[in-house]
Amino acid sequence: MWKLFIANVLLIYFIQCKAQSYEDKRCKCICPSIASVLNTTSGDKNVLNFITNVPATKCNCEGVVLPKIGDKIKEKEQIFCPRCDCKYENRNTTIIKIVVIIVIWVISLLVIYMLFLICLEPLLNKRLHKATGGVGYQEHNNEEDDTSVAPGMSHAMGVRGNVLNRVGHQQDKWKRQVREQRRNIYDRHTMLN
Amino acid sequence: MRNYQVHEYDAMEKFPLKGTSTSTSLNKPNSPLTTYNSVDAKKGNGIENSNIDNPSIRSEITSRGISISSDEDMLDVKQQSVSHHPESNQFLERSVRVDDASSHFSADSDDIPGIGQYDDFHTIDWQRDIARDRMHHRYILKKKHDSIWDLIKGAHDAWSGWLCVLFVGLFTGVAAGVIDIGASWMTDLKFGICPQAFWLNKEQCCWSSNETSFDGDNCSQWRTWPEVFSQSKNGAGPYIISYMFYIAWALLFASLSASLVRMFAPYACGSGIPEIKTILSGFIIRGYLGKWTLIIKSVGLILSVSAGLSLGKEGPMVHIACCIGNIFSYLFPKYGKNEAKKREILSAAAAAGVSVAFGAPIGGVLFSLEEVSYYFPLKTLWRSFFCALVAAFVLRSINPFGNKHSVLFYVEYNKPWIFFELIPFIILGIIGGIIGTLFIKANLRWCRYRKSSKLGQYPVTEVLVVTVLTAVIAYPNPYTRMSTSQLIYLLFRKCGVSDTDMLCDYQRNFADVNSVYLLVLAFIFKLIMTIFTFGMKVPCGLFIPSLCLGAIVGRIVGIGMEQLAHQYPHIWMFSEECSTGEDCITPGLYAIVGAAAVLGGVTRMTVSLVVIMFELTGGVRYIVPLMAAAMASKWVGDALGKQGIYDAHIGLNGYPFLDSKDEFQHTTLAADVMQPKRNETLHVLTQDSMTVEDVENLLKETEHNGFPVIVSKESQYLVGFVLRRDLNLALANAKRMLEGINRQSLVIFTSGNNIQTHTHPPLKLKKILDMAPITITDQTPMETVVDMFRKLGLRQMLVTHNGRLLGVITKKDVLRHVKQLDDEDPNSVLFN
Repeated sequence: MWKLFIANVLLIYFIQCKAQSYEDKRCKCICPSIASVLNTTSGDKNVLNFITNVPATKCNCEGVVLPKIGDKIKEKEQIFCPRCDCKYENRNTTIIKIVVIIVIWVISLLVIYMLFLICLEPLLNKRLHKATGGVGYQEHNNEEDDTSVAPGMSHAMGVRGNVLNRVGHQQDKWKRQVREQRRNIYDRHTMLN
Repeated sequence: MRNYQVHEYDAMEKFPLKGTSTSTSLNKPNSPLTTYNSVDAKKGNGIENSNIDNPSIRSEITSRGISISSDEDMLDVKQQSVSHHPESNQFLERSVRVDDASSHFSADSDDIPGIGQYDDFHTIDWQRDIARDRMHHRYILKKKHDSIWDLIKGAHDAWSGWLCVLFVGLFTGVAAGVIDIGASWMTDLKFGICPQAFWLNKEQCCWSSNETSFDGDNCSQWRTWPEVFSQSKNGAGPYIISYMFYIAWALLFASLSASLVRMFAPYACGSGIPEIKTILSGFIIRGYLGKWTLIIKSVGLILSVSAGLSLGKEGPMVHIACCIGNIFSYLFPKYGKNEAKKREILSAAAAAGVSVAFGAPIGGVLFSLEEVSYYFPLKTLWRSFFCALVAAFVLRSINPFGNKHSVLFYVEYNKPWIFFELIPFIILGIIGGIIGTLFIKANLRWCRYRKSSKLGQYPVTEVLVVTVLTAVIAYPNPYTRMSTSQLIYLLFRKCGVSDTDMLCDYQRNFADVNSVYLLVLAFIFKLIMTIFTFGMKVPCGLFIPSLCLGAIVGRIVGIGMEQLAHQYPHIWMFSEECSTGEDCITPGLYAIVGAAAVLGGVTRMTVSLVVIMFELTGGVRYIVPLMAAAMASKWVGDALGKQGIYDAHIGLNGYPFLDSKDEFQHTTLAADVMQPKRNETLHVLTQDSMTVEDVENLLKETEHNGFPVIVSKESQYLVGFVLRRDLNLALANAKRMLEGINRQSLVIFTSGNNIQTHTHPPLKLKKILDMAPITITDQTPMETVVDMFRKLGLRQMLVTHNGRLLGVITKKDVLRHVKQLDDEDPNSVLFN
């Protein structure tokens, strides 16, 4: 299951790799509005926000803000610039993309499996029980005893059986554990209240 | 042979100082027999009975507290012990046993499968497990000189602990990164989507938008849901559409989280810290730290955080880290197969969990030490340190928030504080203590109600109802609409040029107190919703909500102080510091202190809390305010209600946790607590006169988890203690493996040399016998007994009277006794 899904992730990654248009580096400067600094009553009161892609050493008011609005503030650079806040930041969009896709995958797999367990499995089990009668139940019981006495044994037995059986055994064991957990928490309220 | 070592080491464990000579003397096999390795060292040279019985006697003596340094002393004491008990033949019995032990050297040393493991909901025997590890270690050291391969194996054994915590740190960092990124993306999914790159959240989507004018709210790349559908942005219609989408997404996420938890891993619900605490104190909960719990807890955590519920991901992160620790410990049999050793890895993992949750490695180590760990030797401290370091490093390289820090609400402060401000800080501490206690009481009452009433039968419905309520009430208020972490960030931050938020608006126009009013509403809402949320059947932690509560209170107090300084800059308490200009009071700092105070009031942490907070803010100069607030909050909290939230939940669930913080203040004696009570019989095994059938009948008729072994029913002299599980396994194993064992065979716990030949070969079970059980007399005060249970991590202890076996005290008896004396229901202890 894991391999399949990692392969899928990689596939999606390679397909979408070229579509990437988001940069991973930026220099962001935030300055107060020109009006508030120059004491002019007119003009908007919005904060100014500059984002450019310059090297880290040039990430300051002189390198980013002045080229853009230098003509508006004219000789007032000494007052305006100290109030600007410049930060050089970087990020990794590739990691974000991979992680989000993995999360979506895991959630959808879990939901599909959950729906399978809720809807389809009771139907399958019913058919199986009709076909084999009580024998299947008997075997199931024996297996349970074995595992509870010697934890190492189930594995040894499983190697001899085919893979499908082994997965089935593991799944049965896991289901029993979950049922037990559910009983502890939701029915008897002995834990995790 | 093994057995022999076990009980020798048991004695050694009680005096760890004496064990320090182990490794040095091992290297010279012919060293004089003054150290504990003497038996092993001599093994290669043949067996000398006279030498061998020394350590055994020494173990008997050292357990009485006399330290011996050489063989001569030992012989003296031997004389004494004979003269001290002239009326009994105990010493003779002992020397018989020692002779028996010598003949065990040839016995096969491979274990019966399953010995040393524990059943679900049992407590572990720390002493026994640590002794087993010493034995294993000794074996590895001895083999080391045999071949290169053994040398490599020895080296691997030596560094496996470090390797294991390295892996745990790496994977914890990755898991935290995945959860952080996933949760922040899904949280923003409630508001809109980034159509060009759907995997980016709002902040990342607008990251490189180059818009000169900035209204602080939206960028063109990010589309809110009404924009996606109807192209409009403002007005009543889009507001309702946004509202609907917000509720719908919240419901979807919450229902997914609740049903995934219910379907796949019910153990993934809740915060997990009370259970981790119990597990670390030596309790077994099978499956609590398993693979499915890990997956479901991570996914469920992402979902429930994104649903906008009033919960945090920090507490469950500790659980997730412990799951990772448990899974990786199975790669190293030294840790995977030894429950006591495994707990060392789990302690380190808990440290890594907090380390990634707050980006505070040192705080994590201290949290593990102060709050969750039970047994914390220095070695574990260093490993925790390393593990927390690796985890924090990995998370920081993933850089989940794009701010070069591992938490969203990292703030950097460098403003000085005035001495007078200590008073508001202490007041904040007091408020924090009150809020914390209030929260604990209300939450416990609600949880108790949920446990006992019909409400507990509808876990998923409960989650859905709480989610709808949360979403409907939260949306109109902008402070509750945003995620709790963002709100904390906003409250912690100081107002600068870049802030367009209402919070920083009051300076310009104080007539508009809208933001404070909204904050008060947000506080009431968060407090009430958190009370109902914590304990629901989804993964939920409570660090973030309590930090948020405190930050709101702190910010309000800070705003008040700032206004005071602004209006009256010259009064004495600001001592000239505010007279020069503005900005002498930082409301953000008050928010930080308040957050620490409430978190301290809820969890009753002190040292780790302060360190976590100062690692969050990166300002060493705020340690004193934080300490003052944490201390005040702890005092007030402890005065109002004695337990922190985790201890209260341990008590609510009845986990068998012997708190080392509590003192036992009653005057009962061991005889009052011990089993059997009057008119009941003590079920025992005799060392060489019971048949397999007798033993099987005893196992069938009783439910005790262990049986004392005595010399004979008449004499009642104690030989040792055998666990029920081991006995069962050994009997089953003998029936399968050994020929000629039937129901009439004798079961003997001696080596059986002096037993006359019988028609059936006897079943020798000396291997599973613990020959060094802790014994006390019946007049021992319970104070001492409880102390021994706590400090030695015992599972049971035998009570003697005049040297004869009288009864057994188990951890369960002690816990029930404590509960009984505290006027609580003794049957609520969860125990098998």
